Amino acid sequence: MTFELELRGITKRYPGVLANDAVDLAVRPAEIHAIVGENGAGKTTLMSLLYGLFPPDEGEIFMRGERVEFSSALDAIAAGLGMVHQSFKLFPTLSVAENVVFRQEPRRRGLIDRAAGIARVSELADRYGLAVDPEAAVEDLPVGVLQRVEILKALYRDAQVLILDEPTAVLTPQERDQLFEVIRRLRDAGRTIIFITHKLGEVMAISDRVTVLRNGRAVADLVTAETDPAEITLHMTGRAVDLDRRAPEHQPGQAVLEVENLTVLGGHGRAVVKDASFQVRSGEIVGIAGVAGNGQSELIEALCGLAEAHNGAVTLSGTDITTADVAGRRAAGLAYIPEDRYGVGTTRQASVSENLLMGHHREETVQRRGWFDRGAVARLTGRLVEVFDIKAGSVSGPVSTLSGGNLQKVVVAREMEHGTPLLIAEQPTRGLDIGAIEFVHSQLIRYRDQGGAVLMVSAELSEILSLSTRILVMFEGSIVATLDPRAVDEPEIGLYMTGAHLEAAVA
Amino acid sequence: MLERVLNQVRDMSRRAVVSPVTFSLLFAFALAAAIVAVTGGDPLAAGGEMFTGAVTGSGLRNTLGRSVPIIGMALAVSIAFRSGIINLGGEGQMVIGGLAGTIVAIYVPGPGYVIVPLAMLAGAVVGAVWGLLPAYGQTWLRLPILITSLLLNYVARAITGYLVRFQLLDDAVTLTSTRQVPETARMPKMPIFGGVSLSLILVIVLVALLWMVYTRSVAGYESQMTGFNMRSARYGGIDVEQRTVQVMVVAGAIGGLIGTHLIIGEALRFIDGELVLAGFAWTGLLVSLLAVNRPIPIFITGMFFSALQIGGLAMQRNAGVSWRLSQVLQAVVIVAVACRLAIRRGERPSTEVSDAESAAVGEV
Ligand SMILES: Nc1ncnc2c1ncn2[C@@H]1O[C@H](COP(=O)(O)OP(=O)(O)OP(=O)(O)O)[C@@H](O)[C@H]1O
Ligand SMILES: [Mg+2]
Repeated sequence: MTFELELRGITKRYPGVLANDAVDLAVRPAEIHAIVGENGAGKTTLMSLLYGLFPPDEGEIFMRGERVEFSSALDAIAAGLGMVHQSFKLFPTLSVAENVVFRQEPRRRGLIDRAAGIARVSELADRYGLAVDPEAAVEDLPVGVLQRVEILKALYRDAQVLILDEPTAVLTPQERDQLFEVIRRLRDAGRTIIFITHKLGEVMAISDRVTVLRNGRAVADLVTAETDPAEITLHMTGRAVDLDRRAPEHQPGQAVLEVENLTVLGGHGRAVVKDASFQVRSGEIVGIAGVAGNGQSELIEALCGLAEAHNGAVTLSGTDITTADVAGRRAAGLAYIPEDRYGVGTTRQASVSENLLMGHHREETVQRRGWFDRGAVARLTGRLVEVFDIKAGSVSGPVSTLSGGNLQKVVVAREMEHGTPLLIAEQPTRGLDIGAIEFVHSQLIRYRDQGGAVLMVSAELSEILSLSTRILVMFEGSIVATLDPRAVDEPEIGLYMTGAHLEAAVA
Repeated sequence: MLERVLNQVRDMSRRAVVSPVTFSLLFAFALAAAIVAVTGGDPLAAGGEMFTGAVTGSGLRNTLGRSVPIIGMALAVSIAFRSGIINLGGEGQMVIGGLAGTIVAIYVPGPGYVIVPLAMLAGAVVGAVWGLLPAYGQTWLRLPILITSLLLNYVARAITGYLVRFQLLDDAVTLTSTRQVPETARMPKMPIFGGVSLSLILVIVLVALLWMVYTRSVAGYESQMTGFNMRSARYGGIDVEQRTVQVMVVAGAIGGLIGTHLIIGEALRFIDGELVLAGFAWTGLLVSLLAVNRPIPIFITGMFFSALQIGGLAMQRNAGVSWRLSQVLQAVVIVAVACRLAIRRGERPSTEVSDAESAAVGEV
């Protein structure tokens, strides 16, 4: 048979790293092909090579039996490939339709035909069940929708093979299910999908075949129906990993964070957080669950000093920090793992070590009278790299060369290192492989056991259930429920998250 | 060991060869030669005159002398650019600081070793205050520094113009000018190459200091990180507003120093409107862009631009080719660098653009 797509002996070296090592990959027409592997295994690199972003050092690519060589993504697109990157590449101030048709605008008498663009985009969206408003400005949209826009972009260019790099990392369970529906429709329409993920449940649920990468090598090519998560994990890591254990019980102590009647206004003066009151005590992990866009991000930003509180009071270890700036809050005892590791959590132009230093750079241990002790800086960053197993060619290299998961580890390592009374962790394990998730979970539990208070926001209900001492559910800006993780299950939390409990109460 | 060193050298030279700067320089000189040839001149002779005019005899002295304000103003603008502040007010800071320094030099009596430093200090302080205004405008009133700093250039011109015309005018000459700076209050010249202003040492010290600050100080780290990504810097606990104010103070102070130097070390009279004619603030801005805001490359590039300008004058004298050609050269270098960067950007695998490039093309 001819493969839709075949990669033979693909090799890519970076200084100090063999990112892809003679990788073979065969993808059949109209199949959903999952690619899994630990952080830094070389998944994104392989897809970027395939997509023509840079040439492989060695190896060949075949499409439907024909040898192809792409010198740029434009070639790859012309050949029928489409890629949705780990970090989206959209113009925030343009509309959905404008982003989708960009550079291939329908024209009439030489001028861009906006109406036709909008019509074509909504037609495509309808056909594959991608719910978007073509005229909405991209900057106002939640990530789940942004992703649909990226998919539309590829479909608009008539991609026969669609590459999705960790598409579900940023999605809520509901959005994920919708995405799967779209993917299945695309397959049924004869398109081929390559799908990168760290979640084996998703691999089992959606893929037809799965290729496992490990340290840059393709170590297994499996038929999904004939394998199971344990086997895949073994190929990925060489060991067994248990994710579903619950955190051992721990007795909470004094309140560290006290939030009273906090209201935050978003754009247009609308309340995006409404009258929220809660506490986080030392020795407990409070998990916030909610469908993305129900005020969790705004709540966290207001707690961290990146957004203004309109009303209410925030107290941290007895200090009123309602109006303090970020520096003041950090000094009062707060560390923060932000949701957006690309735009907020790291600075892509700076080096790995400069990024690890951020927030520690004024500490007595690394500087004296404003001058760095470079030995101490190297020791600090070296230790973080080692403890969190951050795979980087060199710590003085730019952080932008790290894989997505390793970038996340930079942020997590740096913030946990503060050892502050309060740790705010927003999507702490997003993009991490299962081994790294297990590690971060154990670190969060250790943090808690040492008397730290942890406030965690996560789109992973399983993560919330397994780690939290208490669960707060947010819906439309309000905290609508405080739940005991031992007494609820995912579907029940889901009811609160979608506001269904309100209807139940009325009925 | 040796092999590693060799490899590194090879690597560096390879990078230098493909670097946009090298490319643009070659391109610019080729274009200039073509222009000379087309207009009936001899490109080799013109080039030769330009070169000898810039680096031999009094030409070398002049090149070194002119490099002081070019490098100085480039340093001033570079520290603002590096922390993401678009300070276009270098000229105003230079002019108003320069007048302040001049006033001290003319009217405060005392020995040179007191008055010269005092004048420089006065220039720095007033320049700093002039830098402070747009900084507070931004942090308090949210007026963008880009605009206020630019507009304040005109205010500075007006204020100095008024003062020179109505308060400090020297009736003995027909110029709209202050009195001459007394001999004792002038910036001394070093007895090298026929007399180079001591200010060159000041500039070299500044280059070294800034290099130190950016490679190993907390202040440099915070400025640089703020310039890279303000959101991330704020999130990391950096007080971005405070840093903005500090950076503008330092930038303004350097501007004031250079302004004072230009009077007490070069012109000796503050002639109304004269200080802005040479356009040092703008040449400095170009130098900083070309050197991607790094102190040591600024020093080298600044010297080069200075040599271009001085050599251009010599070329006009001795080869009959207008000195404007060196301005054309300067402009072409800049445009070529910008184009090269744009092309390379297009080729890039992702949206990732190296800091150097975004600093060079993104900030203006
Ligand atoms: N431009 C680069 N320069 C140097 N090293 C790089 C570069 N890009 C990637 N690497 C390295 O190549 C390896 C593979 O990276 P890649 O991004 O492909 O991993 P990945 O499998 O996608 O991981 P993740 O699951 O964390 O996203 C990593 O060790 C990474 O640090
Ligand atoms: Mg990746």
